[in-house]
Amino acid sequence: MAALGVWRLLQPGRRWFSETVPVAPSPPSSPLYPPVVASVTAKSKAAKSRRLQRFKQRVHAAATVEEKLRLYGKLQRPKYTVYPQTFALNADRWYRSFTKTVLVPGMPPRAAAAKPPVAAAGTTPEGGKAPEAGAEAPGAVEVPQAAKTPGPAAGAAPYLDMGELRSLACDALLQESFYQNKKRPFLYRDQDHTPGPFLTQLVSTLAAFLSGRNPLLAASSLDLNPEVNYYWHHGEEVVVHGHRKGRVDPVRFQIDDNPHLQIRVPKQLPEVVPLESDLGDVPVIDHKPSKLPLFKKQYENKVFIGSKVADPCCYGHTQFHLLPDKLKRERFMRERLEDQIEVVYRSNGIASLFAWTAAQAMYQGFWSEADVTRPFVSQAVVTDGKYFAFFCYQLNTLALTAETIKNNPRKNICWGTDSKPLYDVVEDGNVKGFNDEVLLHLVRFLLNRPKEL
Amino acid sequence: LFPGVRQAQWLTKTKLVEGLPPAVQGIVDNPAHGLQELEERAKHAVSHARLWDTAEVAPRREKYCPVLFENLIHICRLMSGKYPSLSKRMLARNCRIAATWERESILLQIRGLSGILMNSMTPIPPVASKEEILATKEHVLETFYPIAPTIDLQEVNVYKELNDTGQCFADGYPYSHPHTLFFLESANVRTDRFRPEQLRAKMLMFAFGNALAKAKALHGNDPKVLEQPVVVQSVGTDGQLFQFMVFQLNTTDLVSNDGVKNLVWIDSDQNLYEKAQCVPEVKKRVVTKPAGISGFQPDTFKKFLALYLHGTV
Repeated sequence: MAALGVWRLLQPGRRWFSETVPVAPSPPSSPLYPPVVASVTAKSKAAKSRRLQRFKQRVHAAATVEEKLRLYGKLQRPKYTVYPQTFALNADRWYRSFTKTVLVPGMPPRAAAAKPPVAAAGTTPEGGKAPEAGAEAPGAVEVPQAAKTPGPAAGAAPYLDMGELRSLACDALLQESFYQNKKRPFLYRDQDHTPGPFLTQLVSTLAAFLSGRNPLLAASSLDLNPEVNYYWHHGEEVVVHGHRKGRVDPVRFQIDDNPHLQIRVPKQLPEVVPLESDLGDVPVIDHKPSKLPLFKKQYENKVFIGSKVADPCCYGHTQFHLLPDKLKRERFMRERLEDQIEVVYRSNGIASLFAWTAAQAMYQGFWSEADVTRPFVSQAVVTDGKYFAFFCYQLNTLALTAETIKNNPRKNICWGTDSKPLYDVVEDGNVKGFNDEVLLHLVRFLLNRPKEL
Repeated sequence: LFPGVRQAQWLTKTKLVEGLPPAVQGIVDNPAHGLQELEERAKHAVSHARLWDTAEVAPRREKYCPVLFENLIHICRLMSGKYPSLSKRMLARNCRIAATWERESILLQIRGLSGILMNSMTPIPPVASKEEILATKEHVLETFYPIAPTIDLQEVNVYKELNDTGQCFADGYPYSHPHTLFFLESANVRTDRFRPEQLRAKMLMFAFGNALAKAKALHGNDPKVLEQPVVVQSVGTDGQLFQFMVFQLNTTDLVSNDGVKNLVWIDSDQNLYEKAQCVPEVKKRVVTKPAGISGFQPDTFKKFLALYLHGTV
């Protein structure tokens, strides 16, 4: 019995010899217990954050971009529909706060530096442009002297024949407004009657003419009346009424845009300024978006650039927007809101370009939790047929949701000009007061391309 | 009606030649124009129009037919980087055509919206040689006795005999020569669309109308044989099948049944692709038909491009 007693005393667990070195237990090959985390289905803040984490994991782990987009926009809830072409007062400030955009007046600096030399009357023309420049000399006498640039020192880029371009533009304008006999315009559809077809003709002929110079245009795809959609979250609010009353929800926005014309290209435009630049301030508006006025609706959350993900031309180059009859200048003058005219152009430019560039970024797999690693640049021209305004947008960040925006110093940047007329009036088969600067600006936009090309 | 083109031939006093004229065929076969590289782009154009253009699963014919046409025209227009004189062309949509002529004491008139018209500053040179034109004298137009040739035509009291290129364009229009007419059959319902035979007849009638109006504008209203024949081309499609046509107006003397006739070359029923599968077809969990365009025929696109380049190359 004593042996049994000793045996029992010596059983494992009783170490009372000081020489015994406690053996460290060997690390278990797998954890004995599962990790202690919050529940998935409970009604608690921890459970909510766990559900969010699982959702983000699912989107990060999605195999294809289409799957990612499908999961991103799966949950449908009431959201604000943002209209790029709006009559709301000071809409561009509100849109800048929704999209975290800085507005810089004028054009980006690289566009001014890379001006292609223009053949002006009197300067010695170069190369193949000689016969055309010579033939156009009588017509080119009216070329404004301001277009004369320091001659061939600007590099080997051949001269752009302004006379040729001007005649193309004038021909398009005259055909649509004067030569072709059309019926009278339908009520309140003036824009479809003349400026719409004119814009289509002008852009298609100019793009074809300049494709020899810009190989990116030669591989481009032209869309007529495409659809551009984007869905995003920005900020937080408390649900006001309904069975979800009292919960904190992100504020959801959706842009559904129909530009008149769009050029998509297979290669991305180069960045204008580095990703982390800070060129100004984003306006902060303390009111709810519904004060703009902006209204909520629940429908499909679409993200679309104009064609599906499988299209090789997945980057955007230039969009052309036509302002509808509802927003024409005379209407604003009549109601004594002259300062809102520019606001219309700016809000259209900012909203449309943000939607387009953000959708392009989503097509490449970035989203608000996986922010863009390179800036996305696109251009737009907003016009009402006579007045043209030019915009260039650089998307630096997609992280606009309430949690991701906290530590995000990046801002999106939009450069924009005021609206200028292309011509004064069309009379008797002549275009009076043609403005070459606007045409040159348009040509520069179309010639924009990555540096390697 | 059943012999659509034959009836149109009698009404316009035209002789039919199968296939495209040698001038256009020459452009198709000429490798210098780089038509091979454009195959890839044409395939993308078709895929874009049929598969990728919409946020829904599959676009409808009303959407994809005009989009396909625009994409093809965009590729053709981009060739003007290589041939600068191509920029002397202008597209006009929704033009109205009106032309009147007499045919064996029956006064005929054609009026209506003639689709999309492409004009150019320079006319297309005549496609047939003088001998071929004179040889048409021997050709006898087929009649459909006992069916009157004016069957299925609407009889209307005409008070003003109009003769204009649609009266579309005012005087002094720089792009005054009609080059090509495009017809897009884009109705969603099959019964609203023209069948290929009827489409060819419609193309012939409108091409004739345009050519006749141009000839009368150039040479006056008297019926006579033209020394400079007027050539107008025509392309008709429903989004998949293409019909190509080159019409040469040799004479405006249409009252009598003999003498020099007009000529038309028709290349009909050219498929651009066999099938466009938007969603892969899966039978018993095995993908039988993958998504995409199958059976792409580059030759059809080459003919389209050749008709576009004809006259400047």
